[in-house]
Amino acid sequence: MATMVSSAPIQKSRLRRILASPTTARILFPFFVIALWYFIYYAIDSRIFPTPLRVLEFMWEEVTLTSGVRYSSVAENLYVQFAISIARLTLGFIVAMTVGTLVGLWMGVSKSVDAFFHDWVVAVLAMPALVWALFFSTAFGYGHMAPVLTVIFAGIPFVIINVREGVRNTPKELIDMAKAFEVPENRITRHVFLPSLMPFFFAAMRYAYSIGWKGLVIAEVFGSQVGMGWTIKFWYDAHRAHGVIGYAIFFILFALALEKLVFDPLARRAFKWRPSLDAYQLAEGDFSGVTQEGLLVQEDQIGTTMEVRGMESGPQDG
Amino acid sequence: MTTTLDRREDAPRSAEEARLIELRRRDNRRKWFWRIAGYVVILGLWELVSTQIFDPRIVPGPSTIIAAFPEIIDGGRFLESYGATLTRIGVGFGLAFFFGVILGVGTQVPWIAGFFKDAITIGLVTPGLVWALTGLVIWGFQPQGWAFAIFMTTFALVTVNIAEGIRALPKDLLDMSRAFGVTSWRRQREIVLPFLAPFTFTALRFGFSIGWKVTVLTEVFSSNVGIGFEMRVASQLFRMDEFWAWALSFFVFALFLEKAILQRYERKFFRWREEVAL
Repeated sequence: MATMVSSAPIQKSRLRRILASPTTARILFPFFVIALWYFIYYAIDSRIFPTPLRVLEFMWEEVTLTSGVRYSSVAENLYVQFAISIARLTLGFIVAMTVGTLVGLWMGVSKSVDAFFHDWVVAVLAMPALVWALFFSTAFGYGHMAPVLTVIFAGIPFVIINVREGVRNTPKELIDMAKAFEVPENRITRHVFLPSLMPFFFAAMRYAYSIGWKGLVIAEVFGSQVGMGWTIKFWYDAHRAHGVIGYAIFFILFALALEKLVFDPLARRAFKWRPSLDAYQLAEGDFSGVTQEGLLVQEDQIGTTMEVRGMESGPQDG
Repeated sequence: MTTTLDRREDAPRSAEEARLIELRRRDNRRKWFWRIAGYVVILGLWELVSTQIFDPRIVPGPSTIIAAFPEIIDGGRFLESYGATLTRIGVGFGLAFFFGVILGVGTQVPWIAGFFKDAITIGLVTPGLVWALTGLVIWGFQPQGWAFAIFMTTFALVTVNIAEGIRALPKDLLDMSRAFGVTSWRRQREIVLPFLAPFTFTALRFGFSIGWKVTVLTEVFSSNVGIGFEMRVASQLFRMDEFWAWALSFFVFALFLEKAILQRYERKFFRWREEVAL
């Protein structure tokens, strides 16, 4: 940037300021990616590697349903495939949330129950979604069973751990005080217990969903004949690189939309009562996405501390 | 409670203390009881489900899986598979770690942080499967394919951990060094890097925990040797016991590396710090 010289000194400084701003850098990034893409295109000289334009064209055809490709499955287009995947994801998510919350609450209040399940939760947490996907699709064949079960098994340990941590983190002194002032039980639950559990519950939701999505697409590759995972595999099997990359971009857009349109607004609502968080968000040029509300409890912390820290990592899975 | 107290040689000073120690011990005993009960019940349930509801050939129980372990070890491809997978983790994750750390340190410059912001978000939210297939369709079975997939899935995680450390940098020290005219290079070397050390360790550990999973995933698609490949072959041949034996053997191995080695070393390494920033 420093080499850009313009005649008037004032103009020059303004130009430099604009160029040096992080926002400009952020806008420049996609152009950089496209440039890199073209570079790879000419460098590797592959017959199947597409140009960005080819991929864009493919995506446009998929979105407008003008490609004329009929998939070898019951779902014929992008929207139906997406809808099936989302339905499976949501079903698995609901089961994981329900069972996980119950077990998590139970583990939070009783030390014996905690000792009973603890090691198994850690083991399931560390198990790659791939193992579930391969196992369930081999055991149960093609259909809804394998993808849904994969979502459940991939998501449930996150829910259990976060809810358990939430229960343990309830401000005991507030509950004691409320009891001293003879506040009725249901009001304590509503005004003390639930709000303090909320952030944990929310983090659980976010992780269960995003981990579930990552597991789901793997399961759909092996154990399904419809869905997004199946579709990207379809294009892979057809050796159409533009199809694979096009669908990869659909995946990225979907995940980003989910973060920005669903979870970020929800997060803002769930955390409204906590004044500190706004300051936190203001202070960060946060790397947003999955790394926001500082609530993921890492697997290695289980049992050793009750502390909840700023999360350093997203969900634990490829 | 009091009977055990009398027999102890190093008798605690006060009765209150003794009571607390006894309580803690009882608590511990109870915890172990429930823990073992958990193992017994869950393993038993698993075995029961496997033999009664399903078929052990489809849903193998613990006993079937244990019986399959000698088979995979004597199968002749055990060491070779481990070697291949570990090499891939080493290369792919090594690269991701190297560039992730550099990029993380680079986020001190707002311009660089802005430039890579979206890249990091995308890296965090995209399933590893997508990178595996993309790398595969571009490069085929060449090493670039799996290296690309492992790199893309893990670099963002490393970067985010390091960037977390950058955010927590002691601003006063930096300001002071600036006031005394310390050069930027020395500031990086003597303030920033030492401060980042624990974060780097966390990045290594978390990165590894994702790295091995995505490596195995990549091997399922784009390899003819490795743990992932063996898992795929076993599941395609409907040898579920062998499938679980492969999966669990590497699972235990990776957990051992992660928990026993990395975590312990981390603790040892940072014992001198009064409060580790993590």
